[in-house]
Amino acid sequence: MWLAALLAILGTGTDSSPSGWWMAGLDLAGGQLRFAIAIEKAKAGFSGRLCNGSDCQPLSRVEVRGDSVVFEMGDYAATISATLRGDSLIGSYRNVGSRGPRVIPFRAAKGRWPAGPAGDSLLGRWDATFIQDWQTSPRVFVLRNGKAGLEGTIISNSGDYGLFWGQVSADSFALSHFDGSFVYLLTGRLRGDTLRGTFHAGLRTQTPWIAVRSTGAPHLTPPSQVIAADTAAPFRFSFPDVNGVTLDQSDPRFAGKVLVVDIFGTWCPTCHDAAPTLVQLYRDYHPKGLEMVGLAYEVSGDPATDGKLVGRYQEKFGIPFPLLLAGTNDPDAAAASQPQLKGPIAFPTTLFLGRDGRVRLVHAGFYGPATGAQHDRLVTEFREEIERLLKEK
Amino acid sequence: MKGARPGGILAALLAGFLALFQVDRLPGQVAADLARERTEWEDWLRTAPTSPFAALAQRPIGSGITLGPSDTDVPLAGVALTRVTEESEGVYLQSGGEKRILPRNRGTPLGNYLLRLTGPSRQSTLAVYGKPTGVQAPTYFPYDRSLVFTASLNPPARPGPQRLLTLEGVVVDAVAAGSVVVPLGAEKASLQVMRIPDPDSGESDLMIYFRDQTNGDGSYPAGRFVLLIPAGGGNYRLDFNRARNPFCAYSTVYACPAPWPGNTIAAPVRAGEQYHGSSGSGN
Repeated sequence: MWLAALLAILGTGTDSSPSGWWMAGLDLAGGQLRFAIAIEKAKAGFSGRLCNGSDCQPLSRVEVRGDSVVFEMGDYAATISATLRGDSLIGSYRNVGSRGPRVIPFRAAKGRWPAGPAGDSLLGRWDATFIQDWQTSPRVFVLRNGKAGLEGTIISNSGDYGLFWGQVSADSFALSHFDGSFVYLLTGRLRGDTLRGTFHAGLRTQTPWIAVRSTGAPHLTPPSQVIAADTAAPFRFSFPDVNGVTLDQSDPRFAGKVLVVDIFGTWCPTCHDAAPTLVQLYRDYHPKGLEMVGLAYEVSGDPATDGKLVGRYQEKFGIPFPLLLAGTNDPDAAAASQPQLKGPIAFPTTLFLGRDGRVRLVHAGFYGPATGAQHDRLVTEFREEIERLLKEK
Repeated sequence: MKGARPGGILAALLAGFLALFQVDRLPGQVAADLARERTEWEDWLRTAPTSPFAALAQRPIGSGITLGPSDTDVPLAGVALTRVTEESEGVYLQSGGEKRILPRNRGTPLGNYLLRLTGPSRQSTLAVYGKPTGVQAPTYFPYDRSLVFTASLNPPARPGPQRLLTLEGVVVDAVAAGSVVVPLGAEKASLQVMRIPDPDSGESDLMIYFRDQTNGDGSYPAGRFVLLIPAGGGNYRLDFNRARNPFCAYSTVYACPAPWPGNTIAAPVRAGEQYHGSSGSGN
């Protein structure tokens, strides 16, 4: 009987709109992964954005039927289904896996997450060590105060994990990164001069870590050492563009030029981070003898599907150099298609070729703008390498 | 969560009230969570395009597989003769004059069917899915609170990567995560734990594939899987009520993983998923 009474009371709380900002969270073991959702009334229905701090990406679909709200993140076949009650949403994040469903409790309340800055004791660059299965592996944390409060990233040997954003409470912090597929939460606490915490990936993967302030000495394996290249012979490639026209290294446009080869995929967020930098470098140095070519490793392997995605990528970033369909992002297939590179191919990987067509530098991964000074340093290194190669006769 | 207004608070009250009904069925909040997980699992079996009840075939590529007409390795109505071959650059799908690469760990439509390529190169496995049919809801032993343990991991006898078959019969490069000791049988059982990567999400599961004295007598003869759930402080929850059958229990399409050496419990574990014979795991 009191269930009926309760439902009657709840009925008064359902007269609300999903429009506006939502403080959203996924309840992971050991903490809440926080992000924001912004919903707007569109001409037909609603549209929305999913935000990690100041970095917002559009939701592919927002469906509102009565008190049922569904957010779709189409690129990743993931959904959030929730029930709207007054100014709260309660439901689940779901991702259809191959071994069973990935389901994580979801909650949201109307409003904006508070954006408090962190103190100097947390900010800066930290050399971290992840500890899993009785083995260790290096990472670097870069923490800073951004427009939306504490933000930063995690850098591994092959690149960064994208922008993390979160909150500080006294000497503890929690930083989140959620894009529909990757469910990451970094929690930690400062004790003395050491940070300790846990890196959560989804509900069941937890990796303890410990970090100390960077001394400036190398902590990660330098990206140029992750992949080695055959430098004895000119670098060879031969792949079709989105129109099916094959382009190879012997094309007259590349003759005697310094060539930057961008190995990328439209599915790879770090590649999206790298694209504007490459376009800028092309614009700055093309008049002085620089050429670029992008080799795309896509998901489907179907030229029509991949061609559309690569065409859209080219348009989005205004890429003025050719992009070729080189294969799929399967690690073994990608490695087999590049017999002159040794080691697993990271996405993105940037090759710098001299005027003789031979590889002079391989840079695996890319430090995106989220890494701050690390990004700036990398762009400077890219510029210096291009200028050095342009001076060669 | 800040900013919650009365509607939200009342919704939370309702959620708690409804949870009471689940608690009535099984004792304790943990058991209520278990009931929810089982419902989600059953929904997935009924609806997911990669449900074992949708699987029509799963086999190693080996020297090649043919799909389509009735005289091929995997007959598929309405599909023209299609060859799947593994070459040094990857696995290719060839039909008529068209040849294209088949991506790994992603669904690729073929007519009314779905193909999914998994496993490491040169040990690639192709799964072919139709629509889920003949779904039988899993059945379970009664909930047994005494078969829920908290354990910590001991170092592995042989650290590093090991190639093994997952619960869905696919070769994977797992990592030895250590062992746990549980007070079952006359002597305590030491169970080997492997970290199994999930290529879909970048996450991984700590998994135990074990045998016990109910195998072939109420539970699946080849053994069952159970996950270690992080419980804080370096401890893990090992709940045998969450033990599940490998996919070969649902469909003969799947290869069964061989039991992991040493993971035999000298006692009956009457918890988790049951098995009622080759017609399926349901009653």
